[in-house]
Amino acid sequence: MHFLDLTIREIHEALLAKKVTVSELVLEALKRAKNNNYNAFETILEEEAIKKAQELDKLEVPADNYLFGIPYVAKDNFSTKDIETTASSNILKGYKPLFNATVIEKLNEKGMVLIGKTTLDELAMGGTGTSGHKGITYNPYDNSHTRLVGGSSCGSAAAVSGAIVPFALGSDTGDSVRKPASFAGLVGFKPTWGRISRWGLFPFAPSLDHVAYFTRSVDDAGLILNCLSGRDEKDFTSSLKPVNNYDLNHTVNLKNIKIGEICGVIDSITDKNVLNDFNNLVEKLNKETKVEKVNFDTKLLESIYPAYVVISCAEATSNNANLDGIKFGPYYDGKTYQDVMMQARTNGFSELIKRRFVIGSYCLMRENQEELFLRAQRVRRLIVDAFNEKLDEYDVLIAPAAPSIASLINNSSDKLSSEYLIADNYLAYANFGGQPSITIPLGFENGMPFGVNLTSKIFNEEELLYIAKEFEKILGFKNLSINNMKGGK
Amino acid sequence: MNFEAVIGLEIHVELKTKTKMFSDAPINFNDEPNTDVQLLDMAFPGTMPRVNKEAVRFAIRMCNALHMEIDKEIWFDRKNYFYSDLPKGFQITQQFKPIGKEGYLEIEVDGKLKKIEIERLHMEEDTCKQLHFSDYSLLDYNRAGVPLIEIVSKPLMRSGEEARKYVDKIRELVTFANVSDGKMEEGSLRCDVNISLRPYGSDKFGTKVEIKNLNSIANIEKAIDYEIKRQSELLFLGKSIQQETRRYDEAKKETVLMRVKTDAADYKYFVEPNIFPILLTDEFVQDAIDTCPELYDAKLKRFISQYQLEEVDAKILINNEGFADFFEKTCEFSKNFVAISKFLISDVMGYLNKENLPISSFPVDCKYIAEMVDLLKSNEINSSQGKQVFAKLLVENKSPLLIKEELGFTLINDEDAILNIIRRVLNENPTLIDDFKAGKTRVQGFIMGQVMKETKGKVNPGVANKLILQELNK
Repeated sequence: MHFLDLTIREIHEALLAKKVTVSELVLEALKRAKNNNYNAFETILEEEAIKKAQELDKLEVPADNYLFGIPYVAKDNFSTKDIETTASSNILKGYKPLFNATVIEKLNEKGMVLIGKTTLDELAMGGTGTSGHKGITYNPYDNSHTRLVGGSSCGSAAAVSGAIVPFALGSDTGDSVRKPASFAGLVGFKPTWGRISRWGLFPFAPSLDHVAYFTRSVDDAGLILNCLSGRDEKDFTSSLKPVNNYDLNHTVNLKNIKIGEICGVIDSITDKNVLNDFNNLVEKLNKETKVEKVNFDTKLLESIYPAYVVISCAEATSNNANLDGIKFGPYYDGKTYQDVMMQARTNGFSELIKRRFVIGSYCLMRENQEELFLRAQRVRRLIVDAFNEKLDEYDVLIAPAAPSIASLINNSSDKLSSEYLIADNYLAYANFGGQPSITIPLGFENGMPFGVNLTSKIFNEEELLYIAKEFEKILGFKNLSINNMKGGK
Repeated sequence: MNFEAVIGLEIHVELKTKTKMFSDAPINFNDEPNTDVQLLDMAFPGTMPRVNKEAVRFAIRMCNALHMEIDKEIWFDRKNYFYSDLPKGFQITQQFKPIGKEGYLEIEVDGKLKKIEIERLHMEEDTCKQLHFSDYSLLDYNRAGVPLIEIVSKPLMRSGEEARKYVDKIRELVTFANVSDGKMEEGSLRCDVNISLRPYGSDKFGTKVEIKNLNSIANIEKAIDYEIKRQSELLFLGKSIQQETRRYDEAKKETVLMRVKTDAADYKYFVEPNIFPILLTDEFVQDAIDTCPELYDAKLKRFISQYQLEEVDAKILINNEGFADFFEKTCEFSKNFVAISKFLISDVMGYLNKENLPISSFPVDCKYIAEMVDLLKSNEINSSQGKQVFAKLLVENKSPLLIKEELGFTLINDEDAILNIIRRVLNENPTLIDDFKAGKTRVQGFIMGQVMKETKGKVNPGVANKLILQELNK
C-alpha cells in the first residue's frame, strides 16, 4: 500500500517522519489521475502540482499543519486562477478565471497541492454524474462501467474513492456530495450554510449552495473544516459566528446522545441490504443509547423534492444569466446582442440545463410566481421548521443516505424524475435549512457501497463530527477506497 | 385646454460614493474606460455582492430630505432580464421593500407652495455604458455597479413647469446633501417622464406615454409641453393615444417615437439570496441624517436669521457654489455680515466672473476680505481707495490694512484739522450759514465737497459730516 492510500492524518505522520516526501505523494497521485478510467478529471495539473511539491519539499514539515503537502482535487466549479474552469459546460470552455475561490486560497496557504479539477454534472445541476460535457463519470467500484458514481460532484467522488487523493472539494446544493458519498463509500460532509465561504464557487442556487467535500474518514473531515471554516469578507453570507476546533482529539459517549431515525425515509426504502444494514446499525446503537423513531408528515417529506426543483431551478436561471458569451467563454458573432447571446447559450448549454432554465423561468413568471415559486418558499419554511423542531430535540437525525447502491447508468436519467420520491431526494432538507449533514459508509451490496446520513442542528458541526466518528467506529468502515475495500466483497 | 395632464417622474441619481454599490471598484468619472472594474462588475462566476455602507447612508439622507418613512430592514431583490449592458443578467435592486416610502417635496407654483408626493426611493446599481457604432458596440464597465437611487413620484404634476421645478428641487437636494453631482448633462441625474391626458374632472387615467433620454432640466419642460400639445391634438381628432416610449429631439423641439410598448416586461423579481437582510441600527440611521450637510431651505432660513441678510442676497450666496461657505468663513473674522454679503456679491463675484474663475480659485483669504469690509464700513478708506486696495489685495493676498498704509491711504480723523478747513470754507462763503438756516440742505454737501477738494478726498467723511453739522448749527 502506498502512503497516498492512508488518511490525511496518517500521511501527515509519514511526512513528519520523513517516510515519504510531498513529491512522492504528488507524483503517485498524478500517475493515478492520469491512469484513471472513471472520467474523473476536467484538467490534470501535472506541471503546477510537481512544481509546488518540490517547493514544499524544501520546507520543514510543520508538525501542527496536517494538510501540508497533501494532494487534493477540486470540483471544476471552483474558480481557480489561470486554470481553466468550465463547470463541465461548453459555455465556459476556455474560461481561465482571474481569481481563486476563497477555499482554494485557504487550502493553498496550508500547503495542500491541487493536482486536478474534477468533472461534474453540467454547472452542478444533476445527480447522476452523466451530464457534464465530457460525458459519464463512472463508479470506481464497478470495473464494468455500468454504474453511476452519482453527482453532481461525480469526479471528486471518483477521485477519492478511486484512491487518487484523500480529499476532494465538492459542492452540495441538494445532495451533490452526500449522495455520491453514499455510492462511493466515502465520507461526504456539508457543514452549515455560512460556515464556509462560497466566494469563487460557481453559483447554482445560492440559498441552497454549500461548499462540501469528500474524505475517507470523519477525522479528516474535521481537519479540513479547521482550514475552510470562518468568516470571509468577500462572502456577505458567511457567518460571523466564531469557529470551533474540529480536530477530533477526544470522543463523545453515545449514551449522552439522542438519536432519531427518520421513519418516513426508511419506510420508503425497499432495498433489503440497505434496510438490513441500517437496522443492524440501529441495533448496535441501541446498546449504547436509544434510537427513537421520528415521524414527519409524509406529505411534507414528499414536498421536499418539488420544492427543491422549483427553488433551485428558479435561482439557477438567474445565476447563470451571466453566461451570455459576451464577457467570457466562447464568443459567437452576431448582428445584434440578442444574436450573440442566443448563439452562446444555444450552443453552450445541454438539453438538460435548458430544461431546468425553462422550468425556473416558468416558476418565476409573474402569473406563476405565487403558485409556484412563492409557494415553494413557504413549503421550504414548513420543512425547515419541522426538521429544526426535531433537531432541537435530537442531537442527530439519521437515515440511509440513498435508497440503494448506485444505479445502473442505463436506468438513470436526469430529467428530474420522481422515482423514489422521498428516499432519493430527502437530503435536500438540510440545504433548505442549512444544517450540517454528513454521509458515511454503511455497507456494501455486491461490492457496491452505500451510506448513512447524519444531520444535526445548524453550527453544531463539532458535535456532529464526534457522533459520526463513533458511528464510523461501530460500522468499521474507515479509509475506504478501491485500494482498501475492507467491507467489500 | 380641455385636458388635464397627469405626470409622474422616475429619477435616477448616481451616488458619488468612493466605491461601487456591491464591489470595491473605485468610481472616478474621468478614468479611462474599463479601468474601474472589479471581478463582480464583470459578473465572473463565483463573485458575490457586498453592500456599500456609504451608499446606504446617502440613501437615508435623501429619504430624510424627502420626508420619507425609512425602512430599517434593508432587502435587495433581483430584476432579471437579458441586455448587453447588464453583466450579471440581473440588476440588484429593491423591488419589494424600498428603503424609503411615502414622502414629499414642495415646489413653488404661481407664488404658492405645492406639495408633490413621492411614492418610493430605492437603491440599485447602474449598468455598463454602451457606445454604439455602425457595425459594432463598445461596453464600458466603469459604470457597471455604480450606486443609484431611484426616486419615484406619484403622478401629481400637471405641467412641464411643475415637472421642471420638481426635478430642479431633487437636483438641489442631492447636491446640497452632497450625495450626487446631480448633473443631467453628464448622466448623474436621469429623468424618465410618464405622461397621460384625461378630460378635466375625470378620475381615470389615460394611456401613458413614457419619455426617456432627457438630458437637461429645461428639456423636461419642453418635452412635456410638446407632448401635452401632441396628445391633446390627437384626442381632439378623436384618435387614441398609443402606449409607447418616446424621446425628445432637441433640434426638432419635439418628442419622437422610440418604440411601441407591448405588455409590460416581466422581470421575474425575487429576493437576492447572496445578501442577508440588514437591520440598520437607530444610531446608524441617525448618524446618516446628522452628518448630512445643510440643505438649501434650512441654509436660506439660517442665513436670513443668523446673519440678517436680505433674502435675495442670501439666495445668491447659496445658489453660487462655494459662496455660502466662503461667506460663513469670512463672517468668522467680522461682524459686518450684511456688508460682507454685499462685498462678495458685487466685488468678489464680479472679479471671478470677469476672470471666469470658481470661488475655489479665489486668491484672497477670508480674513483679508473681512478686514477689507471692515475698513470700508468704518470709513477708514473711501470707496475709490477701496477699489485700489482690493486690486492690490487680489495680487498680493495680504492684510488690506498694510496695503492701505503702503498706498498712503490715511484718512484725516483729526477733528481740529478738519474744523480748520470747515471754518475756512465758511469764512470764504459768508452766506452759507444763512442759506442753511433758510432750509437749503445742499449747503452741507457743498461744504463736504470743498473739504474733500481741499484734502484730496482724504478726510474721514463720517467725522467731517459730524463737524459740518455742528458748525452750521452753532
